[in-house]
Amino acid sequence: MSKRIPTYSIERKKARWGWMFVAPTLIFFSLFSFYPIFNALYTSLFKKKLLSLKPPDFIGLGNYSYLFKSPDFWNSIRATVVFTLGTFIPLLIFSLIFAIFIMSRKRFQNFFQIAYYSPAVLSSVVAAVIWLLIFDPRGLGNQWLNLIMNSPGIDHKWLANSVMVQMSTMLVYFWKYVGYFTIIFIVGLASIPQSIYEAAKIDGANDWKNFWYITLPLLKPTTILVSIISMLQCLRTFSTQYLFTQGGAPLAPINVITLNIYNTAIRDHRIGRASAMSIILFVIMLLFTWVQFKSSRADEISY
Amino acid sequence: MSYTLQRKRNKINRQSLVIDVFIWAFLILAALFILAPTIFMFTASLMPANDILKMPYRWIPKGFYLQNYWQGIRGNDGTFIYIRNILNSLIVASAVAVTTVMFSALAGFGLAKYYFKGRTLVFMIIMATMMIPFEAIMIPLYLVTTKLGIQDSYAGLIAPFLVNAFGVFLMRQYFITFPDEILDAARIDGASELMIFRTIILPNSIPAIATLAILTFKAQWDNLLWPLLVVQSEEMKTIPLYIVKFMAEKHTDEGAMMAVAAIASIPILIVFFKLSKYFLGGAALYSSRKG
Amino acid sequence: MKKLFTIFLFVLLLSMIVNSATAMEITFWTHEDPNRTEIEDRYITEFEQANPGVTIKRVTSGSGQIQELVLTAFAANQGPDIFNMSIEDEYAYIANERLSPVDFEAAGYPSLQAIYDAYIPGVLDPVTYKGKLYGLPLELTNWCIYLNKKVFKDVGLDPEKDYPKTWEEMVEVSDKIALREGEIVNRRGFDFRYPYYLVSMVPMVEQLGGKLISDDGKTAIVNDEAWLKFLKFMQEWGPNGRNLGSPTYTNARKLFNKDNNDIGMCLTGLYQQGRIRSDNADFYNSGEWMVVPFPKFENAVKDVPAAYYGHYYMVNGQKPEENQQMAWKFLAYMLSHPEEYLTKVNIVQPTVELMNSETYKSMPYSDVFTDDMAKGHVVYYGENSAEIQSHIREAVESVMLAGVSPEDALQTLKRKVQEVLDEV
Repeated sequence: MSKRIPTYSIERKKARWGWMFVAPTLIFFSLFSFYPIFNALYTSLFKKKLLSLKPPDFIGLGNYSYLFKSPDFWNSIRATVVFTLGTFIPLLIFSLIFAIFIMSRKRFQNFFQIAYYSPAVLSSVVAAVIWLLIFDPRGLGNQWLNLIMNSPGIDHKWLANSVMVQMSTMLVYFWKYVGYFTIIFIVGLASIPQSIYEAAKIDGANDWKNFWYITLPLLKPTTILVSIISMLQCLRTFSTQYLFTQGGAPLAPINVITLNIYNTAIRDHRIGRASAMSIILFVIMLLFTWVQFKSSRADEISY
Repeated sequence: MSYTLQRKRNKINRQSLVIDVFIWAFLILAALFILAPTIFMFTASLMPANDILKMPYRWIPKGFYLQNYWQGIRGNDGTFIYIRNILNSLIVASAVAVTTVMFSALAGFGLAKYYFKGRTLVFMIIMATMMIPFEAIMIPLYLVTTKLGIQDSYAGLIAPFLVNAFGVFLMRQYFITFPDEILDAARIDGASELMIFRTIILPNSIPAIATLAILTFKAQWDNLLWPLLVVQSEEMKTIPLYIVKFMAEKHTDEGAMMAVAAIASIPILIVFFKLSKYFLGGAALYSSRKG
Repeated sequence: MKKLFTIFLFVLLLSMIVNSATAMEITFWTHEDPNRTEIEDRYITEFEQANPGVTIKRVTSGSGQIQELVLTAFAANQGPDIFNMSIEDEYAYIANERLSPVDFEAAGYPSLQAIYDAYIPGVLDPVTYKGKLYGLPLELTNWCIYLNKKVFKDVGLDPEKDYPKTWEEMVEVSDKIALREGEIVNRRGFDFRYPYYLVSMVPMVEQLGGKLISDDGKTAIVNDEAWLKFLKFMQEWGPNGRNLGSPTYTNARKLFNKDNNDIGMCLTGLYQQGRIRSDNADFYNSGEWMVVPFPKFENAVKDVPAAYYGHYYMVNGQKPEENQQMAWKFLAYMLSHPEEYLTKVNIVQPTVELMNSETYKSMPYSDVFTDDMAKGHVVYYGENSAEIQSHIREAVESVMLAGVSPEDALQTLKRKVQEVLDEV
């Protein structure tokens, strides 16, 4: 009789049930997530044009080496990085400020939360058409900015100037998601027990010290969470840039990676190169998530 | 009370009053800024197009110019296809919400409460699918869809979204906290695993289910890229596609454009205001992850 | 009784099989145009009555989306039976041999040559490939300048005499017409037809002596000086120059029909008349609009008007033989009504018969269009025309909006278009 660790039939039965519960989802992911991504990886090794009936040419890493030498691709990386940083930093700062301010009020907390969150509920297509009107030279954007800066008649070229158009896309994103991240911070703030503040008070700390030495450090995991989620979202941005360029805005300043992938595949028919870009984007996002996973593991907060 | 102490008290009171006013002003101004575009959309939808881009913008429309809504629903070809498109969005978003909840609950339950070899690996693989950008797989997905012959149909719109990793994560997170004793007690009483799932787990997970259903519904309502690829006929378009089409056709009729946008937003806004705790709860659940 | 019943069942089954064998569905994808939809739906009904067992399914999409839809469908080998787009977008399908050659018998012609004879010389060249013909023209279009007489009179100009004949005059006239509030332009004199650079802007470069592609097809962007002049002109036009217009304002031709005192001129084709008539009949009937030829630069080396482009109906080569034949039969039937296409939709089928007909000659300003078309040439078409057009777009946008110098933009453009050429 060979040495075998006895596996109890109950546990085996439970293990089988575990698999059965998970199986439908796994099958689905195999067909609709794994197969396509491997297909994309495979396609990225070929020079393939979308309409061609001829068998594609195998070029190995040719697409990748082209991309790494292509100024157009690096422009997309630049556009994506600028967009990501330019969006998530204000998002982080303002959502934290809003959360603290809201929590310090005794009334209307719910009203503010709902008001700030509401743009996230609108579809991004709706948001884009609204903002296209606001950014029209005759629209609210110019009117309000001119009012604030007391500069009547100036066209701030929201969609026409290459720096402004990038800021316009960031503004739309910020507007849409600041409420969402405010809520996350509110929950994070609420989970800090009052007892800590009371203890600090006894030790003579005032509000400012409280904030710097207690609140902020204890918010670190939430902060990291907000950063990573918002960065990942920003990396995937598509609708705003797509709809703005359809509406006449210049392409180059806001040619983020996802839009570049779409255009390379659909406008230029270069499916091999587009697949290579997608794989690169996929790797970037994997890296970000790995970083998040590591940091959220490392920061188990105990009071 | 001594004179200096009273003065110090007054000074502190004044300081905190100033801070108070500042905070209120900040919050209110921010609220105005954030709400303004949505309000703009609604007011603009009630004005004739020529008034919308007049400077300065008249926030209060002169009358209820409902022709915009009529034109929006009627469409530029007069076929009222928008109504069908709204219906399509409703059907697809609801179906995806239902399947996502079902599959996520099943998978989340399996991952949370059952120990099997490779469980962690399976979980990590599922989480990895969150990383796959849609543009990376859209063409292969399209090929799969056409091979199955389901393009330009409800099945084609729903299929790639039957379940997603976020849903599995959410459900698993929720089920982990479910006390094992209740499950074991049920097992001793002779209940099968499926029965336990149906009669104990599901009814007691309404908050998580509701949150997931609402978030999924909202995400599908908003989906542009996939329908852009897979829908070919006017009848099967969803709301975002209709908006894009409308924008391209009659870019100048801003009034009708805003009316179309308003019509697309009213249902989801109503759901939001009525069930706001589930929307806000979704964000909260995200932040309560502890590994 | 039983026997009778079995025979009955047998006959029923047989008839069902026969019916399904002859039941053919032809899918027909085209871009939206309410006037054309009306008449083509009628042709479909008539054709289906004359050809029982055949159903035609007609689907319209926005003109900005149909390229993607047809592309993704063909990429999955699921393209429609019939489709049409502008030739720059269609050519890739010919070059990749995805199409069915014209079946002249099914289309009712005695020979292939007869088809060529029926049309104006040269218009079938873009769809002739390796000796075979791959499309039948739905329309041939060129663009001229429509102007709103009221706007001209408003600034004291006489539309009949003072309309711009050169691009330099266009700048001056537009400046006069422009109504501004600070930097914001509320009324523009003219604005370009921005996404369509191959049709409307390459000819401007050609007027200055430049070329998009050299005659031997090997070199991109010929004659730097001409291109630089053109880019500088566009820079002057835009918000960083004299602020006369920009791609970010609403399309001029979409504003024109409304007659809302916010645009003076626009660049568009004969079909615009049909749209004016249906959008704003009062404006159409008032006669307060007219059409003038495409302007030239003052020191133009060549007299080149806007390029003309065609929409051709094409048939999917991957469908069964019978489908292809029926598709060509149906197309020929639809296209046998050129006068109705002209009067109801305002699009011109370039048949010899139509161009010489009274109906055509009596359309307002058709002579302006005809004259310009005779001087012009077809738009650049090639397997990568969409990509090349996007590079031109980027060059123009970068000098107009991003402050890039024309020299730098030209270098980038040269490099990019050369790369596309070298690949093929």
